[in-house]
Amino acid sequence: MDSSVVQKIVKEIEKFTPSHESAHVGRVTAVGDGVVAIDGLSKAVMSEIIIFEEGKGKKLADSLGAQRELYGLILNLEEDGVRATILGDTSRVSEGMTVKSTGKILSVPSGEELLGRVVNALGEPIDGKGPFKNTTMMPVERQAAGVIDRKSVTVPLQTGIKAIDSMIPIGRGQRELIIGDRSIGKTTVAIDTIINQRNEPKEKRPICIYVAIGQKESKTARIVEQLRRERALEYTIVVDAPASAPAALQFLAPFSGVAIGEYFMEAGRDVLIIYDDLSKQAVAYRELSLLLRRPPGREAYPGDIFYLHSRLLERACRLNEEKGGGSITALPIIETQEGDVSAYIPTNVISITDGQIFLIAELFNKGVRPAIDVGISVSRVGSSAQTKAMKSVAGGLKLELAQFRELEAFMQFAQDLDKVTADRIASGVRMVEVLKQKNGAPIPVEMQVAILYAAGNKFFADVAVNKVTAVEAQLAEYLDGQHAKTLAEIKKSGQLSDDTKKALNKAMEEFQLAHKELFATD
Amino acid sequence: METAYAQALWQMIQSGTAPKKALSALHEVLALRGRTALMPRIARAFARIAARDQARSGIVLSVAQKKDEKLGLKAIKDILKEMSVKADEVALNVDESLVGGWRLEGRGRLVDASWKKDLLSIYNRSIA
Repeated sequence: MDSSVVQKIVKEIEKFTPSHESAHVGRVTAVGDGVVAIDGLSKAVMSEIIIFEEGKGKKLADSLGAQRELYGLILNLEEDGVRATILGDTSRVSEGMTVKSTGKILSVPSGEELLGRVVNALGEPIDGKGPFKNTTMMPVERQAAGVIDRKSVTVPLQTGIKAIDSMIPIGRGQRELIIGDRSIGKTTVAIDTIINQRNEPKEKRPICIYVAIGQKESKTARIVEQLRRERALEYTIVVDAPASAPAALQFLAPFSGVAIGEYFMEAGRDVLIIYDDLSKQAVAYRELSLLLRRPPGREAYPGDIFYLHSRLLERACRLNEEKGGGSITALPIIETQEGDVSAYIPTNVISITDGQIFLIAELFNKGVRPAIDVGISVSRVGSSAQTKAMKSVAGGLKLELAQFRELEAFMQFAQDLDKVTADRIASGVRMVEVLKQKNGAPIPVEMQVAILYAAGNKFFADVAVNKVTAVEAQLAEYLDGQHAKTLAEIKKSGQLSDDTKKALNKAMEEFQLAHKELFATD
Repeated sequence: METAYAQALWQMIQSGTAPKKALSALHEVLALRGRTALMPRIARAFARIAARDQARSGIVLSVAQKKDEKLGLKAIKDILKEMSVKADEVALNVDESLVGGWRLEGRGRLVDASWKKDLLSIYNRSIA
């Protein structure tokens, strides 16, 4: 045996004082599908953690080095006993087993040590990088901050996605829903937002928490790798409750994520949390509720499914200065079936959040990526958090695109279009091209302002539609290389002054002169 | 449904009705309702209720060796007083896995003063 371990054992023996341990106990009467019925535990409280006593009757040698204690979470208080969910391997529980109450509400560790780590829904590290040493326990279930403790949303949270930052701006402390069918880029929008935070100065950079609920392990592994590659993992915590995890852990994961985030918020930091996705959490909660024999309601979801999401999302807020001024911005994701946003869970979450980003399969299939339908997407509080510079270039953008979508249908009969309509369509087509963006390539806000300024000033009017994206990339490269001062000025002041406009106009003229071949429509 | 009948039977017996009389009354009711087929299931439910009651009201003192019994009973004297339990209500059990000390379990409470618990706690703290 390692000598340090022996020394530790000797120390432990030296300071050992015999004592007895007293606990309220119950007995497992039934177990199945991750849920146990327990007789006794008359003093148990809701959401209390219980311990299954596996070692009873086992020899000391067999108990040494056994797996860590198996916990359960009380979810139903009944007349004769309680019902609880097992937070681990169900096969370890058997009928007649003694269950000890702990008097503790479920808590997860949080702190700086968690940055760059992947944890499960109980806050235990699952990335093989070793246990945490110095953390603070945060309660998983907790009341959201009250009205007096909050402050309105005024600071922008840049996603790095032109279509969002310009037309559906998000503020720190906001809850913005990302909704759409499967495989049309919902997670990409969220991950790009995390990656974009590297463009923020370190002291203002939000801590990012990505909560994967019911996802494939391979997808989560890919995301972790992408974050690591993009140097975004260092300020990100991943909470993983994969599809193979028990329903209880999938239901708990978002609450664990926000509990971890609250630690940073209370320390005055900004936090960005992504719940990917809440539809899967709702399904897990439905499974659990049915097993707990709670009465099913619409679509077999339990009656408190709205409360499940509202109490989670209410915990995202911006605290006032007295409370440290920290914030939690939540980007919940909801997956729709065949674009049906009027289903039960989507409508619930739409009504809870402060805005929605709708992703549409039709746009995705047309090659418009991110496939955001700006017509029906909305941000209810974000506009007050938008910088003046962005406001000035994006003011009429939403209207212009809406008008373009209206006129788009006429394009098929384009022979008889009047000049004004034809120009509007041409401008709209180019604007759609400008708003296209590759995944994993968020753009800093100052560059977005410059590009949208150029687009708004008909810079792309003479560029062939299929070349707009390439020209835009070249312009961005040119501005970055030759006019970094102008961009820095936009970033610093958050405004588009006359001098900055002049500098941008000059830059565009220079670029046009240098790349004449790009500005000839065919 | 069998649980409801079993609970009724249990309550009758608890309230002082002779078991034989209670059972025949139940049989009569079931025959009237055409549900005598439920009898075996009622019997099983009744056994469960009885087992549960015993588990709730019973109290067991476990010691590692037979010779530790007296020591154990002396140690739990105050606890029994607190729980309003007489010493003769305590069932004794020998559990070698405890290594030493004692362990009292029953009436919704567990008091563990076994050496096994102490040794495991030392071991777990040392390797943490």
